[in-house]
Amino acid sequence: MAEVGRFLLRRLGLSVFVVLVVTLLVAWAIRLSGDPAMMLAEGAGSVTEQDLRNIRAALGLDRPFWAQYGGFVGGMLTGDMGRSFMGGLPVARMVGQALPLTVMLAFLSLGVSLLVSVPLGVTAAVRRGGWVDQVIRVVSLVGLSFPNFWLAIMLVLVFSIALGWLPPSGTEGGVGLVMPVATMAVILSATNVRLVRSAMLEVLGAQYVTVARSKGLRETVVLYKHALRNCAIPLITFIGLQFGGLIGGVVVVERVFNWPGMGSLAFDAVASRDYPVLQAVVTVLAGMIVAVNLLVDVVYGLVDPRVRGQ
Amino acid sequence: MLRWVLAAGLVFGVGSARAGGVLTIAQAQDPNNWDPIATFLVPWGAVASNVFDGLVLRDEQLVLKPGLAESWEVLDGGMRLRFRLRRGVLFHNGEVFDAEAVRFTMARLLGPEGAKGPQQSNYTSIGSVDVVDPYTVDIVLKRPDPVMVSKLAGYGAMMVPPKYVAEKGGVEFGQKPVGTGPFRVVGYENKVSLTLEPAAGHWDGKPKVDRVVYRFIVEPNTQVAELQAGRVDVASNVPIALIPAITASAALQVVSTTGPSVTVLRFNTAQGPTRDARVRRAMVMAVDRDAIVKQILQGHAKAVTGFQSALSFGFDPGRAAVPFDPAGAKRLLAEAKVAPGTAVSLDFRSNDTTFREVAQAVAGYLGAVGLKVQVRPFEMNVFTNDIIPNGKTGEMFQMGWGGWTFDYDNTAYLMYHSGERWNPYDKDPGLDAMLEGQRLIVDRGEREAALRKVAGFVADHALELPLYNVDTYYGVNRRVKGLVVPPDNRLRLIGASVD
Amino acid sequence: MRFRSFEFIVGAGLTGAMVLAVVLADVVFEAGAEAMDLAMRLAVPFRSWAHPLGTDPLGRDVLARVVSGGRVSLTVGVLSVLSAAVVGTGAGLVAGYYRGVWDTVLMRWADVQLALPFILVALTFAAILGTDMWKLILFMAVAQWVQYARVVRSATMVLRERDFVVSAVAVGVRDPVIIWRHILPNAAAPVLVLMTLNVATNILLESSLTFLGLGIDPMVPSWGGMLADGRTYLQTAWWVSVFPGLAIMLTVLGLNLLGDWLRDSTDPTTRSVS
Repeated sequence: MAEVGRFLLRRLGLSVFVVLVVTLLVAWAIRLSGDPAMMLAEGAGSVTEQDLRNIRAALGLDRPFWAQYGGFVGGMLTGDMGRSFMGGLPVARMVGQALPLTVMLAFLSLGVSLLVSVPLGVTAAVRRGGWVDQVIRVVSLVGLSFPNFWLAIMLVLVFSIALGWLPPSGTEGGVGLVMPVATMAVILSATNVRLVRSAMLEVLGAQYVTVARSKGLRETVVLYKHALRNCAIPLITFIGLQFGGLIGGVVVVERVFNWPGMGSLAFDAVASRDYPVLQAVVTVLAGMIVAVNLLVDVVYGLVDPRVRGQ
Repeated sequence: MLRWVLAAGLVFGVGSARAGGVLTIAQAQDPNNWDPIATFLVPWGAVASNVFDGLVLRDEQLVLKPGLAESWEVLDGGMRLRFRLRRGVLFHNGEVFDAEAVRFTMARLLGPEGAKGPQQSNYTSIGSVDVVDPYTVDIVLKRPDPVMVSKLAGYGAMMVPPKYVAEKGGVEFGQKPVGTGPFRVVGYENKVSLTLEPAAGHWDGKPKVDRVVYRFIVEPNTQVAELQAGRVDVASNVPIALIPAITASAALQVVSTTGPSVTVLRFNTAQGPTRDARVRRAMVMAVDRDAIVKQILQGHAKAVTGFQSALSFGFDPGRAAVPFDPAGAKRLLAEAKVAPGTAVSLDFRSNDTTFREVAQAVAGYLGAVGLKVQVRPFEMNVFTNDIIPNGKTGEMFQMGWGGWTFDYDNTAYLMYHSGERWNPYDKDPGLDAMLEGQRLIVDRGEREAALRKVAGFVADHALELPLYNVDTYYGVNRRVKGLVVPPDNRLRLIGASVD
Repeated sequence: MRFRSFEFIVGAGLTGAMVLAVVLADVVFEAGAEAMDLAMRLAVPFRSWAHPLGTDPLGRDVLARVVSGGRVSLTVGVLSVLSAAVVGTGAGLVAGYYRGVWDTVLMRWADVQLALPFILVALTFAAILGTDMWKLILFMAVAQWVQYARVVRSATMVLRERDFVVSAVAVGVRDPVIIWRHILPNAAAPVLVLMTLNVATNILLESSLTFLGLGIDPMVPSWGGMLADGRTYLQTAWWVSVFPGLAIMLTVLGLNLLGDWLRDSTDPTTRSVS
C-alpha cells in the first residue's frame, strides 16, 4: 500500500508542477499580447504617454514581471485572485459565478454523450460490417463534419425561431441548458462512438469473451459486463485527453448561447487584456483538466502495474 | 445552484410582468464598470445615459440643450463658463445636487481617480471649478477650448453624488452607480444583465415603462435570434446580413438614423506604392462606393467624400465625390508605373463582420484595375494599439471614427497632425499649420472655412479612400412605442413604452 | 488488403473526388473564385448554369469558391496533421522505448500542453502573431503533437515488453532497427485513427477561429472560413454556408472511412474478427 501512496503523492506533486508551468506560460503570453492600459483608453482621442503610465501604475503593471507573477501565484494560494482590470470586481467572485455554469455544461455534455455513444458503439461493434454498423458510423461522422458554432446556430434556428420551443440563449432553468448540452454532446459523441466501437472490437476478439460466450452466458451480459468493462480503460483515458478539447469547445458554444461561464469570461479577458481574469480562468481550467487526468492516471495505475513502475 | 434557480425565477417573473411595460434591450458588451470617468465605450453611453445627467445634454438631434444647468454664459473671452444649476434635483440616493456636486465631480475627474481612466485627457483644458453660490458654478479654462461646452455632455462630465462616492469608493460606485438620470439602477449581474426602474421626480418627466432590462449578448446572431423569439424588444448589434431576416417578420422592424461615425481606408503614405499620390488617387477612383453602400450595406449608409459626416461641423456639402472610374484609375496607375499584379494589402479589424465584406468588395474593385489585394484581419487590440500607431500597416488600413464632438477638428487633428497616435505616416508642415491655426479661431464661420480647407487638402492629396458614413440602426419589436434612435447610440428611454 | 469493402470504395471515391476537384479547380473555373459582381449578390442556386450553386454576398460563384476553398482546407488539415503526427510519433517512440529522463521531461511537457485549453492559447497567439495559413498549421501542429506522443508512447511501452521485441534485443538487433521494424508498425493503428479524426477537427478549427474573429485572408476561400462567414446568412441565403459545409462533410466521411479501412487492414487483432 505504501507503494500506492508514494505513486499517488508523486502524481499529485507533478500535477501541481504542471499547473504552475501553465500559469507561468499564460502570464508570460498575455503580457506579450498587448497593453491593457491602451485597451482602457480605447477610443480616447488624445491619450498621452502620461495617461497610459497613470493607468498602468493604477493596475500594478509598473512592477517587474516576476513581482506581478509572484503576486498572482501568492494570491491564488490564499484564494485571492486579485481584481479585474475592467471594473475592479474581485476575480474570485467572477470565477465563482462562472465556474459552476461551465462545469455543469461540460459534465452534462460528457454524460449525455456517453449515454448515447456507448450503446451505439457496442451495437456497431457487434454488427460489424453489417448495415447497422455502416449507418451508425456514417451518422457519427456527420457529427464530426460541422463546427460547434454552426450546429449551435442551426439548433437555435430550428428550436427557437421556427418552433419556438426553447430560448435562444441564457441560463433559465433547465431549458437553457438543452441546446448547449445537445451541441456539445453531438460533437463529442461523434468521436466517442468510434472509440467505443474500436475498443469493443479489440475486446470481442479476446479470449475471455470467447470463454464467456462458450459458458453460455447471455449475449447482453457478455457484452455489457465482460466486454465493456474491459474497454472502459481506453475510453477513460481518451476522455482524459478529450477534456481539454471539451473545455475549448465550451468557449465557442458559450458564446453562441450567451452562457456566462468560464469560456465567456476567458474570451472577454483575452479581448480586453484583462490579465488577472485570464490568468485565473486558465489556472482554474488547467487545474480541472489536470485533476481529471490525474484521476484517469490513478485509475489506470491501480489497474495496470506496468504504468506504475518507473 | 441556488443562485441559478433564483435567476430562473427572476427571468420568468420578467416574462409575466411584460404587460406592465418592461423594455428588454440586447446590448453587445458589458462595460463592467459604470463609473463615468472609467470608460469610453459606446455601450456605456447607451445604458448609462439614462442613469446620469450632465450639466449639458444633447437632444435626439444631438443639439446641445440644458441638462442639470438651466442656462450658461461664456465670460472672460471664452475662458470662463458660468452655469446656473437646476434647483430641487436629487440623486437616486437622496443626496441633493448642487454646485458642490459639480465641483466634486470635476475635481474627481481631473484628480488622481480620473487619472486611472481614459476620460481625464479630454478635460485637461479646465483650470479650476469655482463655486459661486450653491446653484451657480464657474468652470475656468487654463487654455482656450472652443468645444468645452460640448465636452460637458460627454461621458466623463456626468454628475456623480459626492457623499455616496466618498463613502463607497470608486469600485463599488462602478458596480452600483447612482446619478440624477430618469432611471435608477436596481440590479446588476456582471456580463448578464442590468435592470433599471424609473427614478422618482426626474426634472424631465416620468418614464413610461415600469422597468428596463439590458441583457448583454455578444454574438449578433444570438441577439437577432432573441429578438425573433420575442424575448428582447431591441437588438442593438444587428449585422447587415440579418436585416432582411428582421424585416421579413411582421412583428419586427429596423429603426435607423444617420450616425456621425465614418469609415475610411487610410493609406500608408510613407512606404510602398501608395507613397505616390497618383496611385492613391487611382485607388480612390477604382472603388464604387455607391454600389458598396447599396448592395452590401443595403442602403444603411451614405457614401462620403472625406473623413466626416454631414453632422460634423466643417462638413462641406459642396464637395463633389471622386467619380467611380476604373478606366481612369488604370491610366493613372500606368502613369505611376505600377505594374498590373502589384501586391497591396488591406488591413482591418477582424471582429467587424460587416467591414469584412466591405474589405473584400474593395479588394475586388482594386483587383479589377490590376492590383492584387491581400486582405488581412487583425485582432482589434493589436490593430489599434500596435499596428496603426507603430506604423506597421500595409498599404491601406481600416479606420472608423465616431467624431463624438461632431466637429471635424476632433477627427482631422488626430488623424493628420504630425506625431499624433493615429497618424503614423503623414508629415506635412503646411497641414500641421492649418490644423493648429483653426484651433485659435473663435469666429464660427471663419473656423468652418478653415476646417473645409483642411478637408480640401486631404482630398487633393488623396490621404485616404473615403468610404461611407454608416447609419445607427436597431432591430426593434413593433410593440415598442416612442423609441427614438439618436445618432450617438445613447438611447433616451424616457419617452419609450411597451404595449 | 481488401479493396472491395464498403469503406474502401466509398472512402477512396469521396477522397479521390475531392482531391481531383481541388487540383482541377483552376482549369475548370477560369474566372476564378475571386471574380466579384455586386449586382449578382446572393443569387439563388440551381437557377442558372453561370452560378449553379448560387453566389455569395459579394456576387462570387459559390461553386468556384467551394472547389478552390478545398485547397486551403485540405492543405491546413493534412499538413497540420502530418507534421503533428511525425513529431509526436518520433517523440513517443523515443520516450516509450528508452524511458528515463527524456520520457519524464516529454511527458510532463505533454501534461502542460494538455492542460492548456487550446482555443485560448490560439486566441492569444493569433492576436500576437496574426494569422495566415502557415501560422495556422503551425498552431495546430504545436498543439496536437502531444496527442500522438502520448498514444505512441503507451503503445511502445507495452510493445517493448512483448516477446518478439525482447528476443530481438537479446540477439543484438540495434535499437533503431527494432523501433522501425517491430514497434512502429504495431503502434501505427491508433496513430492512423487519430490522424483521420484530426484532419476533420483541424478543418473545423479553422472555421471556429474565423468565427471568433481570427481567421485567414477572407479573399482566399476556405471551407471553414466560408462556413463561418455564411453563418449570418443562414436565415436568408442558406447556400452560402451549406455547400462548403457539405464539402467538409463529404471529405470527413471519405477520409475517416479510408482511415477505418486502413486500420482494419493493418491491424492484426481486428482483422481476425468479422
